[in-house]
Amino acid sequence: MRGTDLPRLVAVLRDPIETFVRDSRVRVSLLITGSGQILAQHGFTSSYEVMNVASLAAAAHAASRALAQLLHVGRWLHLHHAGTNQEIFLATLETPVEKLIFVTIFDTESSLGLVQYFFGQLSDRVGAMPELSYAERSADQKTFEADLEAGLDRVLTQQPRNEV
Amino acid sequence: MSDIFRDSVLRLSHVPGVSGALIVDVSAGVPVIEELKPHTDGTAIAALAAALFRRTVQASDTAGFGGLGSLQLSADHGQMFIAGANDLLVVALLEDDAQIGRVRMEANRAARALRGLDEANA
Repeated sequence: MRGTDLPRLVAVLRDPIETFVRDSRVRVSLLITGSGQILAQHGFTSSYEVMNVASLAAAAHAASRALAQLLHVGRWLHLHHAGTNQEIFLATLETPVEKLIFVTIFDTESSLGLVQYFFGQLSDRVGAMPELSYAERSADQKTFEADLEAGLDRVLTQQPRNEV
Repeated sequence: MSDIFRDSVLRLSHVPGVSGALIVDVSAGVPVIEELKPHTDGTAIAALAAALFRRTVQASDTAGFGGLGSLQLSADHGQMFIAGANDLLVVALLEDDAQIGRVRMEANRAARALRGLDEANA
């Protein structure tokens, strides 16, 4: 997304993400573009953590998409990793401008079923946002890096109350 | 093993006034098997019923009431009965005129069968 669209997008995405976090009782959530630009987050305490998870989520998404093409199974609906103490859920969120990547981390306070259910509601709500209809993708390589950093700066500087 | 699951939900769903039955994995909050009317979202019911049961278990424990065997939720236009079976739940969706005594009996019977299966596999 272009840096000029970010203030508006970050502002409108905050409420749906917080609603999802509250209803599904997850610990951490992150919404990024396919290139790893951060649009919304909840629960991270440092930009280092956000950047790491964003880049790993984008890489996991790209790898799973390539795997789906290789196996001719269309597209994955979601990727779920069940760890010993925490679980990761990664899914794509369709918008008119581009597919976004949603990643959330949860523990025994939530469940895969709850995350799937409330992700469906989040997906419907975000997908129908008019603000995302007229947002534009980053124009070229020159603006790409600046737009990428602008997302991280804006999300972390405007959401200190989300820290846990 | 799936025969026990299938038999349990079929028996339960044939009780008069029962509009649907599911077996749910309580920790994942997903359906294991379901017998529901068309257009009933079993995935959503499984997720929310599991969350409700887990929260009620916590509340019961905190209040010093001990373990939770079953849970009955009454709403304006229907009821839900949930019986715990270790890491599984037996969930019945009931209409207002359901034979609640028979539903409880069948759901608890299914829960006992599932617990027995669990213990046999341990």
